[in-house]
Amino acid sequence: MIKVNVDGRAIEVGEGQSLLAVCLQQGIFIPHLCFLEGMPESPASCRLCFVDIQGEPAPVASCKVPPWDGMVVRTDTERVRRLQKSALRLLLSVHHVDCRNCPSNKKCVLQDLAKFLGVPLKSKKLEHLQREIGVELDHPLFQFVPERCVLCEKCIAVCRQHNDFSLLTFAKRGFNTVVTCFEKDPDRLPCSDCRACVEICPVSAIFLKNEAAEACLDQPPPFPDSP
Amino acid sequence: MKQANSDVLERFRTLIRQARQTVQESKEPGKPHIYIGMATCGLAAGATETKQAFEETLAERGIEARIIPVGCIGHCYGEPLVVIENPGFPAICYHKVTAGKAGALVRAFLEEGDPLFEYVLGALEENDLIPTVMDFPRFNLERRVVMADCGALDPENIDQYLAGGGYESLLKALEMTPEEVIQEIIDSGLRGRGGAGFPTGRKWQAARSADGSRKTVICNADEGDPGAYMDRTILESNPHQLLEGLAVCAYAVEAENAVIYVRAEYPLAVKMIRRAIDQAGQAGLLGAHILGTRFSLSVSVFEGSGAFVCGEETALIQSLEGKRGMPQHRPPYPVHKGLWQQPTVINNVKTLSSVPTIVKKGAAWYRQIGTQSSPGTAIFSVVGKVVHPGLVEIPMGTTLGRLIFEICGGIPNRKKFKAVQIGGPSGGCLPESFMDTPVDFDSLTQAGAMMGSGGMVVMDEDSCLVNVARFFIDFTQNESCGKCTFCRIGTRHILNILERITKGEGKEGDLETLRELSQDIKTASLCGLGKTAPNPILTSLEYFREEYQAHIREKRCPAMMCRALTAFYIDLDKCARGCDACVGSCPVDAIFTTKGRKKAIDQELCVKCGECMVACPTEYDAVGKVSPSELAPVIERPQEKAS
Amino acid sequence: MLKDIDEMLLTSEKKRENLIPILQRIQQRHAYLSPDAMKLVALHLGISSSEVYGVATFYNQFRFHPPGKHQIKVCLGTACHVVGGDIILENFERKLGIKDGETTPDREFSIERVACVGCCALAPVAVVDDVVQACMAPSKVEGILLGFDIERERDEREKQESEASQ
Ligand SMILES: Cc1cc2nc3c(=O)[nH]c(=O)nc-3n(C[C@H](O)[C@H](O)[C@H](O)COP(=O)(O)O)c2cc1C
Ligand code: SF4
Ligand code: SF4
Ligand code: FES
Ligand code: FES
Repeated sequence: MIKVNVDGRAIEVGEGQSLLAVCLQQGIFIPHLCFLEGMPESPASCRLCFVDIQGEPAPVASCKVPPWDGMVVRTDTERVRRLQKSALRLLLSVHHVDCRNCPSNKKCVLQDLAKFLGVPLKSKKLEHLQREIGVELDHPLFQFVPERCVLCEKCIAVCRQHNDFSLLTFAKRGFNTVVTCFEKDPDRLPCSDCRACVEICPVSAIFLKNEAAEACLDQPPPFPDSP
Repeated sequence: MKQANSDVLERFRTLIRQARQTVQESKEPGKPHIYIGMATCGLAAGATETKQAFEETLAERGIEARIIPVGCIGHCYGEPLVVIENPGFPAICYHKVTAGKAGALVRAFLEEGDPLFEYVLGALEENDLIPTVMDFPRFNLERRVVMADCGALDPENIDQYLAGGGYESLLKALEMTPEEVIQEIIDSGLRGRGGAGFPTGRKWQAARSADGSRKTVICNADEGDPGAYMDRTILESNPHQLLEGLAVCAYAVEAENAVIYVRAEYPLAVKMIRRAIDQAGQAGLLGAHILGTRFSLSVSVFEGSGAFVCGEETALIQSLEGKRGMPQHRPPYPVHKGLWQQPTVINNVKTLSSVPTIVKKGAAWYRQIGTQSSPGTAIFSVVGKVVHPGLVEIPMGTTLGRLIFEICGGIPNRKKFKAVQIGGPSGGCLPESFMDTPVDFDSLTQAGAMMGSGGMVVMDEDSCLVNVARFFIDFTQNESCGKCTFCRIGTRHILNILERITKGEGKEGDLETLRELSQDIKTASLCGLGKTAPNPILTSLEYFREEYQAHIREKRCPAMMCRALTAFYIDLDKCARGCDACVGSCPVDAIFTTKGRKKAIDQELCVKCGECMVACPTEYDAVGKVSPSELAPVIERPQEKAS
Repeated sequence: MLKDIDEMLLTSEKKRENLIPILQRIQQRHAYLSPDAMKLVALHLGISSSEVYGVATFYNQFRFHPPGKHQIKVCLGTACHVVGGDIILENFERKLGIKDGETTPDREFSIERVACVGCCALAPVAVVDDVVQACMAPSKVEGILLGFDIERERDEREKQESEASQ
């Protein structure tokens, strides 16, 4: 058994799990977005799950650290909170904050994190930035609002898990990265039985289309830089 | 286990003998030899036309001479560079040899024996006639280890490399055990030249002791810094030296696969390295059972498709596996789990190219060069406002001042030095007070810059640091892979703020936000790109804060580089009436005629390209530049008469 | 085009790591990647076409529209930036009436920005149809485009003449 100390609490853990997973199981909350329970690898992309570990010069992403015996962890130091707030502010600065019209309202991870960290949903500290989307997820069953997406990669991961390969993908790069689906042929899409992405998306960026929207099925595929 | 025995030795000796013979035979004693630098920069400067002019004039004059295309020696300011060996004369180096000069050289030098002193850069050997190039700091303060043979060899000819002692280090390595090879590299203190300066021997050792059946060695030639090109030059000018280093490394870590990851934007480099691999394979120096030993190595070339972040080792591996080049969290490090989850060594071109010399001359010899903690040489591509830009190889520990002012000739046009950006987009901007800083991994990092790619941009008083910081963050945010929050969104915010500032729309508080964001991005990003992207901002904020403030508070760009904050005007007292030189130069027809046929600029139309300033004859010097732009005198444009 | 790609695919191994080299070869032959081409590649490698699309859009090298006949690349690397590479780019853009990344409606020209072509000592630099143009200036932009105009006029005249003489 490995013994670790988190915020003064002694915890005994088994091997094979990340520090983040262990803490969450023990009811110690560490903000996180891209970590997905049960997936082999966390992409470590959201940069929220920082903790301070004794002996480390800077905060580390707990979803990537295996606990070791004698590890001393603090989850709420000033510099950890500073980074978490900063990350959340950045995410919110590109998020279309319109809670009233969002299916995720009241069960939204961003709302929870904002409350936990004390960051306003519409911060004045940073300007709101608009992304050049250009690519639409033109899918027969799902509707996609890229302005809501936080690029947590969960939808892609569950799609891969359910279907052996992923029908969803990141497209483009950098600030303009979006989630999209290139396959438009309903016969090749196993989606009607799956819908894993819709269920996993923490911010309702992907959701089921209503019947009326299905009319636009046979549009040509849009391209990132079409004139 | 050692691999070399007497058979191997014999095979190698035969190879060398044949190579020497071929090289000897290709030289035609008594005939002049003309070496033309034909790497990318030479070609851009017109080396093809130069070569053609040589050929034509030689034919026309009925002179027999051999023309040999060679690589680049890094003296880019002097391209096209030509070396002529004319019997009876020392070898002479000529610079800026245009087609016209080429013709003249054939007629005067080869036909009449007049070496045309006015075109000479210097002789390559001691003699009584012509000063040698070694009299210039640009040559004698340099210390060439990695680039020693760049520009002296025909990169497409393995025999030349062999005849000069090439692949001897591979043979020597095969006579040692892999452990001994690694120990030699550890003893030499060689540190990775890809940026971070990780000890190469320790990396190899870790890969060697890691479990795995399919180890790989990768040469990182993805040189993505938009201002550094030494890796390209080495690939184009001396590819075999790299292959030899690669083979030694593979032998030491027991890898049988090697990949050279080259940018697709370097077509000539790709061609050269491919050819070199073929030739080395045919000679039995690569491929199955090298020189008859049990050591085999297959080398392939992978063309990177234009993503700076793929220079980062984990992203590079993703890209080799056919995926989006997104960096992965480390650990696990590639030496444990790299390509296909197997132990993988990734080394930069310069690192691997240093290996043959170290193996040949020994760790102790290598340690004599450079400093205690950073032995060896550093290669910089010095560009921007210096007299002699180009590639410079210097011993580590040379001071910045010596590099910029002595070796590269200082700032042209009697301008004042302002700052130097070291290490490309991930480096920092240092002011004059750092001129005594020695160039080595640790001193530069301490100063807030870093060795990085070895890109070095020298800026004079006409360069705006805010603008340059904006340029670098524009580059990095464009090249961010988009995976992690800080780098993806944070750098975009920084860019937006800097763009506002350079347009005169800066606000109080912007600098604070910039600093905080920069620090967060630096600590919290996933990979080296994000972790270093804020360096240019943080250093310029620290050393050039007033310049930022002038932009924000006075809407003034002190260097007059930010176009939104400057204006061009024509001084009516100086303008010579009716000379009209500027009118035609303006790409947008913003220049009009005012009273007394003098000229004025329509500020509404002006795009601030500065062409009129160049066009105005120096004796008038009537075009001026001011910042803030409101200071430009306003002259009404008369209504165009209906014609 | 698709038939050609089909044939090309026959000669490459069905391995995921070949994805980028395959896309590079297709683009080399056909100047861009069409949606159908990407689907063929996906089929060949046994991966989803989304994945091919995701990889292709990540890298700067790949284009999804046919480029112009003459490709103009303006260097905006460090050295070129310091001496006004953006002014050169603007001049091309203004003269051709398109922005970087676009193609003129007549498909004659396209403009791209690139980062350092390795001739920094000769900045600012542009690469026009694979020929590096050193020490660019706005007037040189005009000269280059004028050269193309003259070439085109000559071609047309020759064509007319040869038609007339027939
Ligand atoms: C954003 C980024 C870009 C990089 N680009 C390069 C590069 O172009 N060439 C290179 O050799 N190393 C580059 N590196 C460093 C590599 O990750 C790696 O450390 C290096 O290739 C190791 O080789 P070395 O030990 O010989 O230095 C880059 C790193 C980062 C974070
Ligand atoms: S669509 Fe939803 S699940 Fe997918 S990356 Fe975006 S936020 Fe995450
Ligand atoms: S720091 Fe930037 S480049 Fe690196 S993983 Fe994060 S987003 Fe990608
Ligand atoms: S949960 Fe660890 S980085 Fe996202
Ligand atoms: S910066 Fe333009 S060629 Fe290097």
